[in-house]
Amino acid sequence: MSGPFRLEGGAVDRSRSLSFCFDGRPMTGHPGDTLASALLAGGVRLVGRSFKYHRPRGVFTAGSEEPSALVELRSGAHREPNTRATVAELFDGLEAFSQNYRGSLRWDLLAANDLIAPFLSAGFYYKTFMWPKSFWERVYEPAIRASAGLGRLSGEADPDCYDKGFLHCDLLVIGAGPAGLAAALAAGRSGARVILADEDFVMGGRLNAETHEVDGRPGAAWAADAVRELASMERVRAMPRTTVIGAWDHGIYGALERRTDHLAAGGGKPRQILWRIYSRRAILAAGATERPIAFGANDRPGIMLAGAVRAYANRFAVGAGRRVGLFTNNDDGWRTAADLVARGVPVAAVIDVRDRAPVAEVPGARILMGSRVTTTRGRRGLKGVTLANGEKLALDCLAVSGGWNPNVHLTCHHGGRPVWRDGIAAFVPGADLPGGMAVAGAAGGAFTAAAALAGGHRAAVEALGALGLPAVAGDPPGAGDEASDGVPFWHVRESRGRAWLDLQNDVTVKDVVQSHGEGFRSVEHLKRYTTLGMATDQGKTANVAALAILAEQSGKSIAETGTTMFRPPYTPVPIGAFAGRSRGREFRPTRLTPSHDWAERRGAVFVDAGMWLRAQWFPRAGETHWRESVDREVRQTRGSVGICDVTTLGKIDIQGRDAQEFLNRIYSNGFATLAVGKVRYGLMLREDGIAYDDGTTARLGENHFVMTTTTVNAVPVFRNMEFARQCLWPGLDVHLISVTEQWAQFAVAGPNSRELLRKIVDPEHDISNEAFPFMACGEVGVRGGTPARLFRISFSGELAYEIAVPARYGEALMEALMAAGEAFDAVAYGTEALGVMRIEKGHAAANELNGQTTARMLGLQRMVSKKKDCIGNVLSERPELNREDGLKLMGFKPLDPEEQLAAGAHFLAPGAAAETANDEGWMTSVAYSPMLGTSIGLGFIRRGHARIGETVRAWDALRGADIPVEIVSPHFYDPEGGLLRG
Amino acid sequence: MADPALAPRFPLGGYRRTIGGIALAEPAGLALVSAAVPQGGDEDFAAALAGGFGAVRPGTGDSTPGDRHAARVLGMQPDQVFILFEPPDPDRAAETVAAALGSSAYVTDQSDSWAMLTVAGAGVRAALERICPLDLADEAFPAGRVARTVMEYLAVIILRDGTDSFLLMSPRSSARSFLHAVELSVANASE
Repeated sequence: MSGPFRLEGGAVDRSRSLSFCFDGRPMTGHPGDTLASALLAGGVRLVGRSFKYHRPRGVFTAGSEEPSALVELRSGAHREPNTRATVAELFDGLEAFSQNYRGSLRWDLLAANDLIAPFLSAGFYYKTFMWPKSFWERVYEPAIRASAGLGRLSGEADPDCYDKGFLHCDLLVIGAGPAGLAAALAAGRSGARVILADEDFVMGGRLNAETHEVDGRPGAAWAADAVRELASMERVRAMPRTTVIGAWDHGIYGALERRTDHLAAGGGKPRQILWRIYSRRAILAAGATERPIAFGANDRPGIMLAGAVRAYANRFAVGAGRRVGLFTNNDDGWRTAADLVARGVPVAAVIDVRDRAPVAEVPGARILMGSRVTTTRGRRGLKGVTLANGEKLALDCLAVSGGWNPNVHLTCHHGGRPVWRDGIAAFVPGADLPGGMAVAGAAGGAFTAAAALAGGHRAAVEALGALGLPAVAGDPPGAGDEASDGVPFWHVRESRGRAWLDLQNDVTVKDVVQSHGEGFRSVEHLKRYTTLGMATDQGKTANVAALAILAEQSGKSIAETGTTMFRPPYTPVPIGAFAGRSRGREFRPTRLTPSHDWAERRGAVFVDAGMWLRAQWFPRAGETHWRESVDREVRQTRGSVGICDVTTLGKIDIQGRDAQEFLNRIYSNGFATLAVGKVRYGLMLREDGIAYDDGTTARLGENHFVMTTTTVNAVPVFRNMEFARQCLWPGLDVHLISVTEQWAQFAVAGPNSRELLRKIVDPEHDISNEAFPFMACGEVGVRGGTPARLFRISFSGELAYEIAVPARYGEALMEALMAAGEAFDAVAYGTEALGVMRIEKGHAAANELNGQTTARMLGLQRMVSKKKDCIGNVLSERPELNREDGLKLMGFKPLDPEEQLAAGAHFLAPGAAAETANDEGWMTSVAYSPMLGTSIGLGFIRRGHARIGETVRAWDALRGADIPVEIVSPHFYDPEGGLLRG
Repeated sequence: MADPALAPRFPLGGYRRTIGGIALAEPAGLALVSAAVPQGGDEDFAAALAGGFGAVRPGTGDSTPGDRHAARVLGMQPDQVFILFEPPDPDRAAETVAAALGSSAYVTDQSDSWAMLTVAGAGVRAALERICPLDLADEAFPAGRVARTVMEYLAVIILRDGTDSFLLMSPRSSARSFLHAVELSVANASE
């Protein structure tokens, strides 16, 4: 026998024993046990300390609503705090630890908090830690943090792995109790695609915990048969250990499946899976949660919910005590007494608040009708109770039943509110359910087994009908309608001491009364002020009783008082499960350029550009600072030739009879006259007239163009153009497809670029300046016929080309270019040198196209053609965007060439105070120009074009700089453009 | 010595591996070319497709086999199909399609845009369940169906090319991340 409190029977597998440790003490249990049932079987009643007062606490429930028995499971990096012992499936080798104490669980130093409880009432933080002000950060907060929280995190990375996934069904059944099983059977037998999810590791819900009969057999046996039948159905997926945590839009539900938590080791497989379930219909059969009655010192280990005491006896074969009392306000509670007696557990007393005839005879028990428990005793576990008449009873377990609350949570995830039903004194789901959801069984307030079975069956038949699916389900399973009458009874008024409502957060009746007295009248305020209903259990056993007390205080009904908002997740979900596999290097996908491996072999330093990894620079031996590498790359490119992978630029293939007209409407400048074999620079505006993106478009054929966009806007530009094609101008014959990935593209720049390309491009293609001038394009062959596209365009300001080959040849082309370039001392350059050269040349990039700037500000106003319409043309004419004294893109040089400029600096007139009113503009991009031997910048400044030669200050409070700069042309390098045409 | 011709390199380097009974492989020698149908040109296009590839034009989301070049035509959107085939000359795949379809379509080579991966085996749907948001049940996605979707933040074209076999295509630049995502799904879902 695994422990002194183990009974005969039950659903545990006695043929096998499981060893586990609690606080280092070796214990045994059986397959089918939870940690809680195994601890109770072993006589362990004290399992933890409460949050605020560090009161001794034991197992209170037998399910996921557990507020008290929170433990740490496993050790080392696997340690998981705040785990409910009542749902932790026992396995061989399980290590569990109690939590939230200093010293030992039995002798907790912080139990001193309990002695000063009068000072720790609701809102004590807000009242106590007011002064002196400076103490908050240095004294109070660290002290509070040190004593707050429950379990300890390991502080190490989570070594487990997690996954997520997607499931689809006609009908999702949430909960596999009598209602859920009846629903799944009806739908499954009709051939529907069904997912049945239940948080327990054994399906059956309360049928496993009760002694009901279904179809003339024990309920648990009927449930097991039903599960077997469902498992045999190909279109039914039964998912135990799976909690549906929330309802999202359009029939989408989130569910957490615990795959390996019940195993000693996961074998490298995901520990938990977060599923997204797409359902056409859903039936919520989530059951109900029993609620306690509040009375003095009602939090001692040994005081448990009556239904839980029953579950431990019937399902787990554990007697929760040897001298049990029952305290109830309803008939259902009496079942506990009957079941315990039937299993040989002595029941000493049944205490019913109702002054009426006893519900049943309970052999050996005193029946005390119209009586109440006012307080209890027992330091680390219950020893006895005192009744309202002063009589004392010796008890080691008190089973309490205050009625049942339907689990309405998921019905409220779309903002619906539950409604109060007087007959059962509980909230039931309102009419405003998430789309496609129906509620069956105890979740809908139908508490008897017969009603649950019939309700689940009916809900499934109705759901199939709504989907137009045939229902061939027959009759629902039959069961008796057991007695469940009760009266509302929330707390014992005669109790003098603290009467707990929320065991997890140590919130008492007095706290709720005080909170109301201090003005927190709304239930939402009550929650925030007292912390009622927060943390891992979200007040599943606490909320309704607290509402009842708030209602009493305010003189309103419970219905008028209302509930707090229910939000996902229904039960706690580890952050690791939300992250799933998106962690570390695989947090997001990485895009690699065709020359990536080549660059990596050369020791390139990479930079993230969106999802892309781009070579930033290529250090050479002996270079100790990135600027040495970048300066060299710039000098060598401008001095001879450099090669840069520009594959990341967006490329869009545009074809159609109206492709040219389409481009003419997309770009602000004219494209009506672009000849085949030519490239044009183009500017796009947003609808509001602000500059959006720029790039080049080449005309490859009469009806065939290829556009390049900036790297960052590759996707949005494509999307906008697709919108324009489909929605703005559906009459145009134009077709778009992305070819960004199709072509590996390299910039070849510098005075020797043509000579280098002559070694690569097949000789039948004439690429002389005459045959292939600036802004020419064409299809060529490289290295003996590999197809390629050549564009004579320049971002650097040099004689330059871009050459593209199918991506499979990208790496080989890079190698071929570098090999052929050896004769010219060719250099590979990265994004940093690219940026330096574009700043030297005065080209705008993302820093300048930041969504605030216009073509006019960029000095490109002539590119907004007034001979035609285009996206953004009209709104670009707004007067404020066209002020003569508006901002202009200009160049800036420090008066002292040794000064280093910084982007983000603001321009101020000499002597002007650094105030917003004096702000004249800002620096957008800066670089050290190896060609000019000084730091240079681009920026926007008021009336800039009329102020060349003027000196202003580049003022940068962030970095403490105030640098006199001269306003110059933004075209620092080769302003006439002779080089690129050469 | 003449300079050597450029050597091609494939997105997954000819990857081939079996994990938990599921075979993953990068198919070799396939070209993928898009064909967009000019406005008003549906009849011409259908005729050209029948003449050039011996294929019926598929509706969006469906695919049809052709009788030339081992072709399969994938219906991608109302005015666009992709033609998956074994090209006589991989460097001239678009030209092959253009020659077959004449002026009835605008063609664009997509062969290098997508990394391709076949995933096949009895448990393949359980593996794809971890990354594919689409319903791949027989009734919802029978053999021959094709769709665009997203897996692990990546664009994917998924074609069911057999009862327990799928061809997945995802952008070439992120092929390594994509392969990792599929491998991990197969490993996670296998027993």
